[in-house]
Amino acid sequence: MLLSAEKVAKHFGSFRAVAGADLAVEEGEIVGLIGPNGAGKSTFFNCIAGDVAPTSGRVVFDGIDVTGAPAEAHARLGIGRTFQMPATFDDMTILDNVMVGAFLRHPRRGEARDRALEVVEMTGLKEQAGLRAGNLGTPGRKRLEIARVLAAGPRLMLLDEALAGLTPGEIQRAIELLRAIHALGITLVIVEHIMEVILSLTRRVLVFNQGHVIASGKPQDVVNDPAVIEAYLGRGHGGARR
Amino acid sequence: MILLQVVVGGLLLGALYALFSSGLTLIWGMMNFINFAHGEFVMLGMYAALLAAAWIGGGPVVFGLTAALGLFFLGVVVYFALIREVMRGPMLAQILSTFGLALLLRYAAFWVFSPNFVTLPHPALAGTISLAGILLSIPQLVAGLAAAVLTIGMHLALTRTAVGSQLLAVAEDRNAAMLMGIRPDRMQALAWGLAAASAGIAGALMAISFPFSPAVGETFALTAFVVVTLGGFGSVPGAMLAGLIVGLIQALSAYWFGPIYKDVVVYGLFVALLWLRPQGLLGTA
Amino acid sequence: MTRWGWLPLAAALLAYPWAVAGSDSAAFLQDMGALVLLAAISAAAWNILGGYAGQISVGHAMFFGAGAYMPLLVYQHWQMPPLLGVPLGIAVSLVVALVVGFPTFRLSGHYFSMATIAVAELVRIVVGNWDFLGAAIGLQGPARARGWYDLIFRSAVPYYYIFLGVLALLLLVAWQVQRSRLGYYLRAVRAGERAARSLGVPVRRYKLYALMLSAGFTSLAGALYALKTGFVDPDSGLGILVSVQMIIIAALGGAGTLLGPLLGAMILVPLQTATNTWLGGSGSGLTYIVYGGVIMLIARFEPGGLLELWHRQVTARLARPGEVRHAA
Repeated sequence: MLLSAEKVAKHFGSFRAVAGADLAVEEGEIVGLIGPNGAGKSTFFNCIAGDVAPTSGRVVFDGIDVTGAPAEAHARLGIGRTFQMPATFDDMTILDNVMVGAFLRHPRRGEARDRALEVVEMTGLKEQAGLRAGNLGTPGRKRLEIARVLAAGPRLMLLDEALAGLTPGEIQRAIELLRAIHALGITLVIVEHIMEVILSLTRRVLVFNQGHVIASGKPQDVVNDPAVIEAYLGRGHGGARR
Repeated sequence: MILLQVVVGGLLLGALYALFSSGLTLIWGMMNFINFAHGEFVMLGMYAALLAAAWIGGGPVVFGLTAALGLFFLGVVVYFALIREVMRGPMLAQILSTFGLALLLRYAAFWVFSPNFVTLPHPALAGTISLAGILLSIPQLVAGLAAAVLTIGMHLALTRTAVGSQLLAVAEDRNAAMLMGIRPDRMQALAWGLAAASAGIAGALMAISFPFSPAVGETFALTAFVVVTLGGFGSVPGAMLAGLIVGLIQALSAYWFGPIYKDVVVYGLFVALLWLRPQGLLGTA
Repeated sequence: MTRWGWLPLAAALLAYPWAVAGSDSAAFLQDMGALVLLAAISAAAWNILGGYAGQISVGHAMFFGAGAYMPLLVYQHWQMPPLLGVPLGIAVSLVVALVVGFPTFRLSGHYFSMATIAVAELVRIVVGNWDFLGAAIGLQGPARARGWYDLIFRSAVPYYYIFLGVLALLLLVAWQVQRSRLGYYLRAVRAGERAARSLGVPVRRYKLYALMLSAGFTSLAGALYALKTGFVDPDSGLGILVSVQMIIIAALGGAGTLLGPLLGAMILVPLQTATNTWLGGSGSGLTYIVYGGVIMLIARFEPGGLLELWHRQVTARLARPGEVRHAA
């Protein structure tokens, strides 16, 4: 087991953003996380990535309990993540952005630069490598975030809506990029709204609603689950459960 | 008996601190923005009272209204001319902007009014009153009570009126407020106007009992930082309580250790607070 | 800047005292040259923390003051050469930096700025009332040189070259920082702490590194000031305007750039001398009205400083076609 999150909960005051969610990921998997807006997916991600400490529950990565450890410790152990709102370093160049990631495993500048150049090449950002990140549009920033994380040498990547806002052509290229990353042996957990992405990449999907995992299984089965349809379309469509 | 007098004097001054600090904390709560020129707003309120005393005459009410109107206008202008743009910029720009404004206002006041200490001519209020054996200066009593009433009034206006709740809605969640049809820009301009006006009135009220010079702004800015930190960033009730505490501590340390220590103790308290409880007394981490 | 672009600049700085030696006001111009370099050192030291790491200290005067007081203190009380006080000043600065930085770096940027102002004011008031440190009157260095080690010269030229040497060292350090992991991490911290953390940057530790480095060099600048003027008091060593000058010079030239502080000093120090001369002394405060105005204008219109403005002009000319290319 590469990652296991057990009964993770995160409360903000009386609001339960995540109310006891479990997730177990085997090395080499691609797991999808879907659910309506505000279902708690991003907060759950933030708990796993160490961005916020969970109110209760346990997160174990590769046999090490990382619950409540700072985000930088997660990164060092090999958990990489992208942000729903791209958080690129806008006044640095694209290459420099990627080098910040590369420095994690390559403290010397020359090696970090070589690693960053490889990653920039692989992610298709080579042309723009000298431009400031602030010049990129949203799709470019999302790609840059993936590149930056990749350069940091993760074993597990958490991608938070990394493909949202892309045109169909761009989505195809992004799917290819994620496949290539997976082929390097990196485990992926992706939050995504675009079903096309989920169906073509993942074998296993978890559905979030109101802070709970309400369904899990093969993507084709899950999308036909009445509880899932209800969560997405609201009460009255999928029967009167809960 | 003297101790009691010191305590009451400290609380009266603390009410004034609470008044101008609540303006600073309001802006912090709404915009995550510290106005480094806030102390200069207080200082300008004092000079507004001076000008009002020279040109219009009248008493504290006239002075306070002049300062409030003048500084409300200044606050709104500063928001539209400077802050609105700077907010979108880097942290350096945010801090530099009001810092530059502070310097400009302070030394412009130096230039216009000279660096010397002044007092208001023809004291509108004077004398002392004996209450239950404590001697109190009437101007200080009036200023302190007025400040307390205004601070509580501000808190009530924020929590009980429609405009106030719109202000707080912007502070809570800018995007949600926009969806509700509130225009954050107007609300933020209003907040800057209110914050500057609260500083201005506090300045005018202090001017009736204390001598002042253009340099006093720096001390008030620092006092406001301490109060806001102590009370928890963004909390008006917190600022009220913390203002009283800071005024009390100042008065007691001046009484026990000598006047030069009143600021030392307060700044020392601030440093201690940084280590022990950076989220403030009432704040949460 | 190209690879060897700094050579003409270095040559010009080396030649400056000699080039103005023939002028009627040679002594004045040489002295101003030394002041420009000193201001550049302070601003470049501030820049490591405020520019690269984006943590805006408004209390760097406390480090400058520690550097300025210690050399004169060891002379005043024990008649030791002021030079011996320099490492002492640096040590004090580093301790103060730890005390201030450790708690405040947990919180947001504005908080750090407020804390630095408050601590610097606290230090100024305490020193201003402490007889051992000269209280309000301040401290004096030796009136006449007892030997070379007192570093007292009649001309400004030896100071000029000492300052130039220190500035060169500092810029070399800053250049190394810029190119190394430390520099990349600091800029990442400035751009976004949360994202930096997610890439494995121990944010608080790196901010502390930047603060220590910055405080150490600021303290050195204070020591140089004390050695040259042989005098320090609470206002000249610890006043808030000392901090303000560092910030405005760095921001004017370009905060977070290697040569921005030097450029800012080359513009602002002569400007300050000019306004003091034309507008009748520094007492009227007109200089600071100009300062305040300049700071506001930079913040409002060009937070990147003059070098950024120049950089944009150049890149706009070079990369006009397809400037806003969108990557997929």
